[in-house]
Formats: sequence, structure tokens, C-alpha cells
Amino acid sequence: MPFALFRAAVLAIMASAVLAPIGLIVYQSFLDGPFFQPNVHFSLEAFQFVLEDDDFWEALVTSIIVAGGMTAIAVPLGVVLAFLMARTDVPGKSFLEPLILVPIFMSAVVLAFGYVVALGPVGIFSTLFKDVFGVVPWSIYSVTAITIIAGLTHVPHVYLYTSAALRNLGADLEEAARTTGASPWRVAVSVSLPMVTPAVLYAAVLIFFLGFELFGLPLVLGDPKGILVLATYLYKLTNKLGVPSYQLMAVVVVAIILIAIPLVYLQRLLLASSQKYVSVRGKAAKRSPLRLGGLRWPAFALIVLWFVVSVGIPVFGIALRSVVVTWGEGVKLAEVLTLAHYRDLVDYPNAINAIVNTILIGTVGGAISVGCYTLVALAMHRWRSGWTRVADYLVMIPRSMPGLVAGLAMLWLFLFIKPLTPLRATLVSVWVAYTVVWLAYGVRLVAGTMLQIGPELEEAGRSVGATRGRVARDVTVPLARTGMLAAWLLIFLIFVREYSTGIYLLGPGTEVIGSLMVSLWGTGAIDLVSALAVINVLIISVGLGLALRLGVRLHG
Amino acid sequence: MSKLALPFVSSLALVMTAGLAAAQVPAGYPADYAQTIDAAKKEGKVVVYGTTDAAAANFLVKDFEALYGIKVEYNDLNSTELYNRFIAEAAAGQGTADVTWSSAQDLQIKLVNDGYASAYKTPEAAKIPSWANYKDSAYGVTYEPVAIVYNKRLVPADDVPKTHADLLKLLQSKPDFYKGKVTAYDPERSGVGYLFFTQDDMAWKQAWDLFKAFGKTEIKLYTSAGAMIERTTSGEHLIGYGVFGSYALSRSKKDPNIGIVLPKDYTLIASRVAFLSNKAKNPNAGKLFLDYLLSKRGQTIIANQAELYSLRDDVEGEATVAKVKEQVGDAIRPIQINGDLAANLDTVKRLKFLKQWQAAMKGQ
Repeated sequence: MPFALFRAAVLAIMASAVLAPIGLIVYQSFLDGPFFQPNVHFSLEAFQFVLEDDDFWEALVTSIIVAGGMTAIAVPLGVVLAFLMARTDVPGKSFLEPLILVPIFMSAVVLAFGYVVALGPVGIFSTLFKDVFGVVPWSIYSVTAITIIAGLTHVPHVYLYTSAALRNLGADLEEAARTTGASPWRVAVSVSLPMVTPAVLYAAVLIFFLGFELFGLPLVLGDPKGILVLATYLYKLTNKLGVPSYQLMAVVVVAIILIAIPLVYLQRLLLASSQKYVSVRGKAAKRSPLRLGGLRWPAFALIVLWFVVSVGIPVFGIALRSVVVTWGEGVKLAEVLTLAHYRDLVDYPNAINAIVNTILIGTVGGAISVGCYTLVALAMHRWRSGWTRVADYLVMIPRSMPGLVAGLAMLWLFLFIKPLTPLRATLVSVWVAYTVVWLAYGVRLVAGTMLQIGPELEEAGRSVGATRGRVARDVTVPLARTGMLAAWLLIFLIFVREYSTGIYLLGPGTEVIGSLMVSLWGTGAIDLVSALAVINVLIISVGLGLALRLGVRLHG
Repeated sequence: MSKLALPFVSSLALVMTAGLAAAQVPAGYPADYAQTIDAAKKEGKVVVYGTTDAAAANFLVKDFEALYGIKVEYNDLNSTELYNRFIAEAAAGQGTADVTWSSAQDLQIKLVNDGYASAYKTPEAAKIPSWANYKDSAYGVTYEPVAIVYNKRLVPADDVPKTHADLLKLLQSKPDFYKGKVTAYDPERSGVGYLFFTQDDMAWKQAWDLFKAFGKTEIKLYTSAGAMIERTTSGEHLIGYGVFGSYALSRSKKDPNIGIVLPKDYTLIASRVAFLSNKAKNPNAGKLFLDYLLSKRGQTIIANQAELYSLRDDVEGEATVAKVKEQVGDAIRPIQINGDLAANLDTVKRLKFLKQWQAAMKGQ
């Protein structure tokens, strides 16, 4: 197949996969009722209602603050973490690596609830602190707390992006700097980091976007004070009017898309001369980790500190909740210990099924998704054409739909587009929905590492007569494998946690852990939710640890 | 096969199936119910969308499957999801639930009014209260008292309110002790919360005084019963107002710290409403399932295993009408399943109520 045809086909498939749900939503925003019902008319009332609603503006401002704040926290921390883990001789790396990723796959609701048990007004640590000092000086029910927790728990995303790029980086530049006497810190700031700017920028924009989509964390931590962000505003909107009002939800999505467009533009501007980030040259150099010297243990302490705050505390909270009957002020924990919740879980219908499905969609589904993302990245790779600009925007747009809306849009697609209808009742529809919504996250990770490959390597292939396809297969893809592996890891973790996008497509037999947790949460069975979360963390941490040890090597 | 044997065999088969089916027609049902059962068995399964969590629903599902040998595909959804999915699927004509069963009573009535239901008079109709029957189309299935929960460790015994009026007095007399310590559904963000508060408004002339007292004591409002009960048991809050008694009951069995009060001045009764879809692919199996939910057999499981409270007088067990009446006497006030519930969804009315609510939250 000629390469041009391949490019056109990939672009066309991607465009239709993205534009179908988005087009549906935009169309819906201009109607006065659900698009599929008779007697709906063109109307701008939905825009008027949302724009005149004080709650919308309040939610928008809060979302911008939270998204901006969490980006400002997650990006620097993620980059430092990635540098330490990928490039230095910080102790305990193989042990820390799987643990660093825990916050990605923890459901946000559960994570937030873990903080409530640990640091809430009557949390374990809060009451201890109160016994000693008389007061609890912090409150986790505030915009500040939501921002900090969101920032800390999104560090792993940045970490994955940056470390994939760093691991693809030739060591020669860093070593040159080191031999001229630069400190490890200096090497990081002046040599390594500038070379991975594209990856960091991608990560920053994507994190900012996740900030708009944030739902579980503000739902649990913002509930007591009624703090609204855009995703929880959608909730409120539905209820205020009594029945779900799709046109109003659609307007909110249109607003988020309007914010997305300038962001993608900015990112393109900053990356205009991608040539300067090329770092994989045709010269093999054995890499040895940078020696931190005296900074080794302080660096280790920094990682452990981050880990304790963003993983240790909430997981401890959840784990504790899963083995007690009750908790809080005036409870002696030793008297309320129990394993009953785990026993109850075994009896819960479909719990085992859900665990299996979740892992299946994460591993197998994730791998196929990364395959698709790689094709997209390859098609756009070094394509000097205006179409790449279109692709940059296309990739980004699906995540403008908060989970609640994305789920609906996907249901509508599989219902109203005839050729898709037979797939609706299968796991395939769920997989398609996940793959489309998380497009940007996978594609950017793979494309970022492809950008680092020196064009001369590919040109060498071309000059000895290889076709474009052959070069892609034998040169570009093998050299971008760190990115692909990182993408698979990220997508696996995201799919394991995801459920809202697929909620309307899931049925008996295709349930996943996420949907199970949410329905349990709704009826107040938080003890079972905690037990399920602990099992989830255990399975995935052990799986990750094994995978990393057995050869899914992120270390180049 | 010989000419003689054929009619013999087929008539034997007929007798056998008739015999089998007849044996299964529940007592008191019309004889032609056997045909419904046969047709349902041919359909082979029934698709149910419900808001009841899978664990509680599973008792019913398993028993129904054992009774008829018809498979139940039970989809556990929240009430908004159920509504969204159902109307989209109905519009697409691709098949949807045969039975929907939701705690959002108002949305269910709206769906009936919008023409999504298939009218069906259940043979159990005589056994269930008239308030739970909407136009022989939608039926209330459960009898869930709306309760007040409290933290037994931390709420002084004398403070425990017996009535709504007690709660009002308590909040007025000890506003500092209960500041930030009372919790309820947020009527602005939760449909159930809105329904319960408007019912309070209709049931009790001092309701708004109570809401204002909530505002003055800085009540914390949530979107889920789970969050409310969990934070009440932990002591972060002390009193949870307007919680489904069914959730509170099953929680209190595991956790001795949760106390439940059914207010003696009036106790609202909520009911999960079920109806048959007129787009059902398995209409007969749907009928069987609906009848089963309302039958003595199904209701006995609702009372004793699913803990959702049975609405039939003739059912015995823990979560029953008799047990509720034992506690509150005649002060029961079932939320009437009628057209007024759909009016509840009127946007103008809602926005007006919520505006008044916001003022009350500021203590005005």
C-alpha cells in the first residue's frame, strides 16, 4: 500500500471516530430537546441558559483554578521524579517504580475517600494530631486541597511521559556535561530537560485537560461545601431541571472545546521547530546512570515523601476502612477489626467477573489501542502537510467531553449509527469508546518519542531503497518502543480505572470494577468499595511489579 | 412414525406441557396465565434495568430464575443513567429493558406519561395498596421509610429526636453543638433529595422552619446516601436527615454505631417504581417478573433478604409494613405514586422551590 494512502486512511478513520461523537454533541447543543426525539427544533436557548447561570461561571472558574494549579504541581514534580528514576542512581528504583503508578489506576472517588478516612475532620491522622496539639490545622474540603491532591495524584502521568522521553535520550550529551564538572542538578536543568521539552509540554497540556474532566475528587471532597467544578456542575444541571437536559450538557462541552483550541494552538507554537529536540542519533552509547553522590539519599527521601502523601496516606485510609466495622471519633480501632467485608465481596454477584473483565480490557484492549495510536503517530510522523495541524486538534478534542457526556455520546453512536449497532452489546463497543476518548494520551506519548529520532536514521533507510512503510516498520517503530511501552502502561492503568465512558455500554457479564464500585458507593456499601479497592491495588501492583521485572522494561 | 401414533404423541405433549404450566400458575392467578408463562419461556429471558444494587437484587433474580427457569439480565444503573439509556434505546428501536425498576419515582411516572409504558393490570393488584398503582401501568414495589440516622456513640441519648418537631427544637436549642454536624441530601444536586424535601413541605407546615434551622446550623449536603451514612458513623456528622431506611437498616446490621429513627409525627414512605416497557422484546417474561416482584414470594424476599421493605400486608419478616407501623403507628405517609409526581419535574416549579431553599440555607 502506498504510504500516502495509508496516511489518508488513518487520518480519515481517526477523523470519523472523533468527529462522530463530537459532531453529535455540537449538534445537540443547538436543539431544544434530545436529538432523537420527534418535534425538536433549532434553538439557542441552551446557550442562553448556561451563559446566564451563575453556577456555570463559578464552576468554570473553579475548574480553571484547579486545572491550572494541579498542572503547576504535577509537572515539576513529575519531571523531577522521572529524572531521578530514569537517569540517576537513586536507591530502590525497581521497588519504587510500580508503586509510583498506583495513583493512576486508583479510582478518584476511592482515592478521595481514602483521604477522608485519613485526613478528614475525624480521620485517623487528624484525630491523632488533635489529641496532641488540640486542633486540626488543615481542611481537605477546599478548592486548595482538591488542587493539591489532584496535582500530587497526577504526577505519574507526567512521570510516564517524561521518563519515556528521557529513556530514549542518548546519554552522550549528559555525560559530556558531567565530565566538564556540572552537578547532577545542572545536568538535569540545562541538558536533559530541554531535550525532553515536547514530552513535558504534551504532558502539561493533557494534565490541564484532565483538570477539566476531574469528577470523583471534587465529588467527594467538594460535596460538604458544595464546591462545583464543570463535571459536577453537569450533575447539578440535570437535577435542577428534573430531567437530564442533553442540550445544556452539550453546551458545557462546547465551552470546553473552545478552551481546548487555543491550548492546542499554543502547544503547536511552542513546538514549532521540533527538529531541535532530536536526540536519538545513529551512534550507540552505553548509558550509565548519573551519580548523585551525596544527594542520593535526599533524592530518595523526596520520592518517598511524595509517595507517602499521594499514595501512602489514601491507600492506608482505604485499607484501614476495609478491615474495620466502623471508624472515626471515639472509636478504638482494635475493637472493630474484621475481615467480613472481604468475605462479603466474594459473595457479591459478578465481582470476580468484573475483576477479570477489567484486567482483560486493560491488558489486551490496551495493547490493541496502543497499536492504533502507533499507526496514527506513524501516519503523522514527519508529514509536512497542513493535515497534521488538523490531526493535532482532532486528537485533543475527545477528552473535552467529561466522562458523563462521553458515555452518553458513545451510547448514541452505537444506537443510531446502523453499522455499529451489532457491536453495542459486546466488549468491543466499550473498547472503541475508551480508545477514542483517550486518543490524545496514547498518541502523544508515542509521537513524542518518535520526534526524538534523528531524521538521518530514517533517511538512511530510504537511501538504501526501503519503502516508507519498511522504514516505519524497521526503523521508526523499534526506536520508539520506549514510548510505546510507556503508552501501553499508561493506557492499561487508565482503562483499568475507567468506567464512565462505557457506563451505557456495559451490561450483565461485561461489568468492570469501576462500575461495580460506583453502584456500591451509591447504596452506601463503602466497606465493600474499600475492600474492592484494596484488592484492585494489590492485583495491579503485583502485576506491574512482575511485568516490569519480567521484561516490560522501561529502562532502555 | 405411524399414522396412529402422531396424534397420540402430540396430544400427550400437549397434556404434559399444560400439566407443567398449570402446576406453575400461582394461586389466585387467572387460568390463562399459563399461556403467559409458556410465551415467557419461549422468550427465555427478561432484561431488567434497576437502581437496586446487584447484591440486593440478586436474591430476587436467583429466586425468579429458580421459579420459572427464565434468565434475568439485571442491569444495575443509577436513576439518571437508567432514564438516559432507556429513552435513547427506545428511540433507536434496538431493544431495551423489558422492565425498568427505579427509585426515581418521578422520572418513572414521567416515562409512563410520555408513553413508554405498556399498561398491564397485574394479578397481584388487589394485594397492593392503591397509592402504589399508577393507572395499572406502574407499580410501587417497596415500602421504604425515609429515616433519620444518628451516631449512637456521640449523640447524647436525650438529644435523639423522635419526630421532625423534636429535630427542629434540638437544632434551635443547641445550634452550636450541631453546627456543621447535620447532613442531608442536597435537593439542588440530588433528585431523591428534591423529592423528599418537597414531600416534607406538603406533609408538615413547619417544614420550612426546619430547613431554615438546617441553614443556621450549617448543614452539610451530599449527593449520595453512602456519603451521608459513612460520615455520620465516623462522627464527622452526627445526624443524617432523610435517608432511605433500607440502606440505613442494612448498614446498622453491620455497624452498631448507626441508630435509626422513624419519625413518629410522620414518616415518608418511598417506593421503587416498576413498569413494563412497550418496546419490550420479551413482554411476557417482563409480565412474569413484574408479577413476581409484587407476589408474596417475591415480597418475602424483599422483606427478609434484600431488606428493601415489603409493601404487602400479608408478608412477614423484618422489613415489612407491620414493622414500620409498630414504630410509627398511623403516621405513615406514603409518597403517592400519581400524576403529581410528574409535576414535580416541572422546571419552573423546581427553580422556585430551589430558590426558596437557597434562602433557607442562609437562615432566611
